[in-house]
Amino acid sequence: MALWTLFGLTRGSASTRWPRGNGEDGQDGLLGMPRYHPERCDEGCRACAEACPTHAITMRDDGLLDIDYGRCVVCQLCAEACPTGAMEASQDWAFGVRRREDLAWRAEPASPAPAAAATGAFKRSLHIRHVDAGSCNGCESELQALNNPFYNLHRLGIFFTASPRFADLLLVTGPVTQPMLEPLRATYEAMPEPRWVMAVGTCAVSGGVAGGGYAAGHGLKGVLPVDLYLPGCPPNPAAIIEALLMFLDRVPQRVRGGRYGE
Amino acid sequence: MANELIAAAFLLWLAAAALALIGWATIARALLAAGGLLAIAAAFVALPAGTDAVILPTTLAGEAVGFRLAPDALWLMGFGLVPAILACALSTTGQGQRGWLLGASASLIGALGVFGLQNGTAFLVAWEVMSLGGAVMLLGERLVQRPGRPVLFMLALLEVGAVALLVAFLLLGAKTGSFAFAGFPAAGAALPEPVRVIVWLLLIAGFGAKLGLLPFYEWFPGAYGSGSGATGALMSGVVLNAAFFALGRTLSEWMPTGTPGLGIFLVLFAVLSAILTALYAFQQEDWRALLSFSSAENAAIAVTALGAALLFRADGAPVLSGLAWTVALLHLAGHALAKGGLFLAADGVFRATGSYAVVQGSVLRRSFWPFGVGALFAAASLAAMPPQAGFVSEWYVFQTVFQGFHLTTLGARLTLAIAGAGLALTAAVAFATFVKVFGLGLLGRAASRVPPVPGGIVAAVATLGLAVLALAVGMPHWLGSLDQAVAGRFGADTVRNMQVGLVLVPGTGAPIDPAKTFAFISPSLLVVVMPLLALIPVIFLVLSRGFAHRRSAVWYGGLDHDPDRASTTALTFSNALRTFYGFIYRPQVHTARETNGQRYFIRRLVFTHDVAPVFGRSLFRPTVALVLFLAERLRALQSGNLNFYLALIGLLLVVILGLSLT
Amino acid sequence: MSAPEPPMDALRERPAAARPRHASRIEEAAIAPAALPDAVRGLLDAGGRMQMAYARWAAPGRLELRYLASQGDGQPFLLWRCPVDGEVPSLADIAPLLGWYEREITDLYGLRFADHPEPHRLVLHEGADIPVPPLDPRYPADRPATVRPVPHRTPEVAGAESDVQLLPYGPVRADVVESGEFLFFYLGEHIIHYHPQLFFKHRGMEQRFEGGDPARAVVLAERVSGVGSLAHALAYCQAIEAAAGCEVPKRAGWLRVLLAELERLYNHLHYLGHLADTTTLKVGQAEGRLLEERVKQINARLTGSRFLRSLLVPGGLRRDLAVGPWLRDALERVRHEAAIYTRLLDDSGSFLDRLITTGPLDRKTAFDQGATGPIERASGLDRDLRRDHPYAAYGELPVAVPLREAGDANARFQVRVAEIDASIVLMQRVLLLLPDGPPRAPCPPPQGGFGLGWAESPRGSLFYAVHLDGDGRLARVKIKSPSFSNWRVFPFTVHDSNMMDYAINEASFGLTIAGCDR
Repeated sequence: MALWTLFGLTRGSASTRWPRGNGEDGQDGLLGMPRYHPERCDEGCRACAEACPTHAITMRDDGLLDIDYGRCVVCQLCAEACPTGAMEASQDWAFGVRRREDLAWRAEPASPAPAAAATGAFKRSLHIRHVDAGSCNGCESELQALNNPFYNLHRLGIFFTASPRFADLLLVTGPVTQPMLEPLRATYEAMPEPRWVMAVGTCAVSGGVAGGGYAAGHGLKGVLPVDLYLPGCPPNPAAIIEALLMFLDRVPQRVRGGRYGE
Repeated sequence: MANELIAAAFLLWLAAAALALIGWATIARALLAAGGLLAIAAAFVALPAGTDAVILPTTLAGEAVGFRLAPDALWLMGFGLVPAILACALSTTGQGQRGWLLGASASLIGALGVFGLQNGTAFLVAWEVMSLGGAVMLLGERLVQRPGRPVLFMLALLEVGAVALLVAFLLLGAKTGSFAFAGFPAAGAALPEPVRVIVWLLLIAGFGAKLGLLPFYEWFPGAYGSGSGATGALMSGVVLNAAFFALGRTLSEWMPTGTPGLGIFLVLFAVLSAILTALYAFQQEDWRALLSFSSAENAAIAVTALGAALLFRADGAPVLSGLAWTVALLHLAGHALAKGGLFLAADGVFRATGSYAVVQGSVLRRSFWPFGVGALFAAASLAAMPPQAGFVSEWYVFQTVFQGFHLTTLGARLTLAIAGAGLALTAAVAFATFVKVFGLGLLGRAASRVPPVPGGIVAAVATLGLAVLALAVGMPHWLGSLDQAVAGRFGADTVRNMQVGLVLVPGTGAPIDPAKTFAFISPSLLVVVMPLLALIPVIFLVLSRGFAHRRSAVWYGGLDHDPDRASTTALTFSNALRTFYGFIYRPQVHTARETNGQRYFIRRLVFTHDVAPVFGRSLFRPTVALVLFLAERLRALQSGNLNFYLALIGLLLVVILGLSLT
Repeated sequence: MSAPEPPMDALRERPAAARPRHASRIEEAAIAPAALPDAVRGLLDAGGRMQMAYARWAAPGRLELRYLASQGDGQPFLLWRCPVDGEVPSLADIAPLLGWYEREITDLYGLRFADHPEPHRLVLHEGADIPVPPLDPRYPADRPATVRPVPHRTPEVAGAESDVQLLPYGPVRADVVESGEFLFFYLGEHIIHYHPQLFFKHRGMEQRFEGGDPARAVVLAERVSGVGSLAHALAYCQAIEAAAGCEVPKRAGWLRVLLAELERLYNHLHYLGHLADTTTLKVGQAEGRLLEERVKQINARLTGSRFLRSLLVPGGLRRDLAVGPWLRDALERVRHEAAIYTRLLDDSGSFLDRLITTGPLDRKTAFDQGATGPIERASGLDRDLRRDHPYAAYGELPVAVPLREAGDANARFQVRVAEIDASIVLMQRVLLLLPDGPPRAPCPPPQGGFGLGWAESPRGSLFYAVHLDGDGRLARVKIKSPSFSNWRVFPFTVHDSNMMDYAINEASFGLTIAGCDR
């Protein structure tokens, strides 16, 4: 046992300082949601819309695209299919938003900034109950990574808790399969108020690739009131941290009206 | 006056026996209870002095038979009779009222004799009548299909004890040529040392068989477990108290002050008994078996106090001897009330659920609330929770053994220190045991609808529960009636120094002053203060009214589960201790898996478990085998007819008489 | 201090070269239902093993069963096509591992097997409301099979049954874990029976493939089991390639090996961290998780995805990978650190004490119930698809297959430790010898046809059986994931064990629920 202590000491701290200072977010080379450049779009070209396996991209009658990043599974097929670079591979992964509308790119100007949720008292410490409502385990793998020494979620005052009785935020992954519907509702029901719900991963936001059919639902829509959406397949740990901090008003929301970083 | 009351009680009990035989059960029950009330009245009248000695109008084996109830006898009998009266009034839960009432009257008469008779022959007869009364109760009430085996086991062990007593009396009587107890102290002093030790051991074995000292407690679960709670209330109350009184008076009166060695032996022996029986009690899943082990444990605690009294006496500290003896008397008084309450509560559970098993059964929530209050007070007392009587006596037990530092020899000091540690373990296990009994057996919930506990039992349990509290609260008052008992036996007026106003102290310091002693309690004040603690949750409740409430169901990981199947069982509750003390329990768990032939497809699990009794294998199994062998041989005689059994009992009496005449 | 090595449990490795290459990869045969029992017995007697069974609609209203089996050493897979005409006997008594496959077929297609020993629902819960079986064409599209809460079916308890407590745990459990409900019949500490109630996460993934475009459906295969994304994509692509009969360029084959081993590496490192966590070795947990994170970051840098997604496609890779010297150096560093880490674990008495003799899985149960991957290799079953049925570039590489005999948690731990090193060695070799060339060849889907693809995922053997319709679209995709097999085995190591050991035992299996439930 003393050996382990010594080992731990010699290894030193592995935690990143991100998002503070010049810390590394650890996502070098990671591809995020493809970015849409409408000005590059060719008239009548529907290659990207046809390539999209989850119908996140739809062609409008006026030749422009409607893009719902809440349905994007980051498969990059559109970026590969697009002949003009209108859908361009990017590193835009920090897609946490408070309102579902902010995930949809529309030709209309971006909607006004959403009102902040009443999370003030929880700004410095948040307890999360996670429920896997039928995910592929990708989101769980990244959620588990939050507690690895690199991201070290505890340093930000955010904790996962076993009992919903102690939880402030219900973090849901997966498209909500039929057998998980009741347990999910019961877990929400068991939480004290104030309570919030976060949909993590494209499955929880919209159903993703698995949504529909006899067994899987279409995410949390119509199941629970969602306060925080984070699409991604799966969203990487940094994206989850940033979404949580955004929810606690510790960093600004990056995405508005489907436009990144404005 | 007191002697007249006692005589009337005796006659009422005799009449009850006769009426029971001819089948007038209701009147017999009334007479038994009335006799008990008269005997309690006698105790009230005669305490603290004791009754006047009388010579009974009969001779036995050519000797006059004296009768006198000493104050400590009156004390133990009085408290032992309270649950006995209620048990007799309620009668057995079994089919055989007549047999049970006959046995109950025999037990009461026998116990009365054990408390008061002053002649060896008469005492032995009373002793046997008391033992056989218990057997007749168990056999007569016909609660289980085959009560024969455990009852035979009990009788066999009790007869071992009876023979030991007989030999002891013969050794003592041989010196004086008389079986009159008056001559025994001198005879005891005159015996040569080795013989005296033998007599001493014989007395412990003889009375220990009834008290459930090591290894005799092994008849307890079987015998108690084949009878009703009412039987248990009698056997753990007045009968147990009688046996303890007999042990205490014989050892303190007949055996000279002597060396501390015997006291050391008695203390260690009793503490070991207490630990083992406490551990076994915790593992039981039958109300009666559990409570019976607990009775043996409490008897062992009283015997520990008795041993301490003898140790102190050998060391020339009569004040401390008096303290120890008072403590033993207090302990058994509280125990009789509380244990009687729980035995009758067990009958209530049986009436409601049809079983004596300690399982979650919603008994409390379906019954009138005084039942719960009575059972809670009784269980709290046995768990030594303040302010109940058990708490007072347990505290006094510890105060007594802590006085060990006054002793002069290292061995004796060490013994009491060890006893303190052993009793602490016992107390902890007993606490867990009664949490289990009350929490699972009464408080536990179940989906099945059970009928409420009958009113009579509710009243009896509530009465006994309140009596436990009354004993504790009124302790400063009650203590006074033990004054002469202790002074007469150990020549010390300890009792007067054990209280200062409403505060109880060990009574060893002089001058006695709560400010000058570091140990004191006051159940009388606690009973006022403790309800004040309840104000805290009440305040929270009131404060929380201003907030909006939302009730949500218990969260089981997201699914509703049948709380019946998911709740703690008696076995899982006691599993940790069972594992930790595996070397004592030697637990056996077996799961047979029924499959379709392929071992992977399991359809049914047949689960069994057991704890192996320590002495079962080495000591009793051969004996049991022998008894069973004899029983097998005697099967031709076993007609199942109650009258036949009674005839057998009569025959045994004749044999004992014959033996004592020679 | 390390435990003495039992001689029987020595690490054995057999190079791939010791086994003969087989010419044909699959032998197909038609079989009548009545002939099945004898055929299975014959196969088992000859040293073979059943792999999976599934059903499909051969024509409207006509079901066909397919049974996949491994034959002995070096022989091709055996595939039986069995038309359903009349009663089909259950084979669960002969080959117990088929029990779950038959129950799944009953749930999804409504076909009942005669004399099934456990004729209950499996992938659908008892309370699922379905008008017709969900894979029946008459099932209304997108109609959710709502689930009514019904008590789970567990063995009846007799004897002193009122003493046995049922401990339900889940489906929402402590910590960040997948959903599944575990029912323990226990006595405070001693577990007498364990029943994992799974398939809370059944998403009907096989059905989601149906009617899809074969090339685009890789996206779906990648999302069947997140931490097995690459293996699923690989097995799926190989199935399509087999159906289409297309060749994958050499470079793509080698890169696929590299990616598959990267997936094994981060999974095994995660496993070590998790195992250290259950044994309360906190520094050990942190180190395992940190190394896992390192490899995931390498994944992201190499492929743009921490889970190696969006890369594979029938015919090769979507794009070439920039495997510069940085990758070699990064892997070498991971190898060095992992070696120190695993040696430290192996020297921790408190850690090994809790693994040795915990959750023993005997060889026969492992075989009968179809244990796979590191689990079966820790119980002495020497199987590895990479070596026995090579795919991608494995045939050209020496695949070391670590083996242990003891079958306990320690053996499972040791096998994975050895595989970590073997995996990095294999990757270094790929980086050294990586041939040049295009990463992708065209692979148009055929009009109709069948293909079987497989991969040795980090958790064991993974199969994709793919049927295409006349339009070149997916008609039926059957996924046999390794966790489906290992979850079937796991309970037999829990019955009559200790609650304290449960978490360690479960961690030592390294199971995923998503892969099992699909």
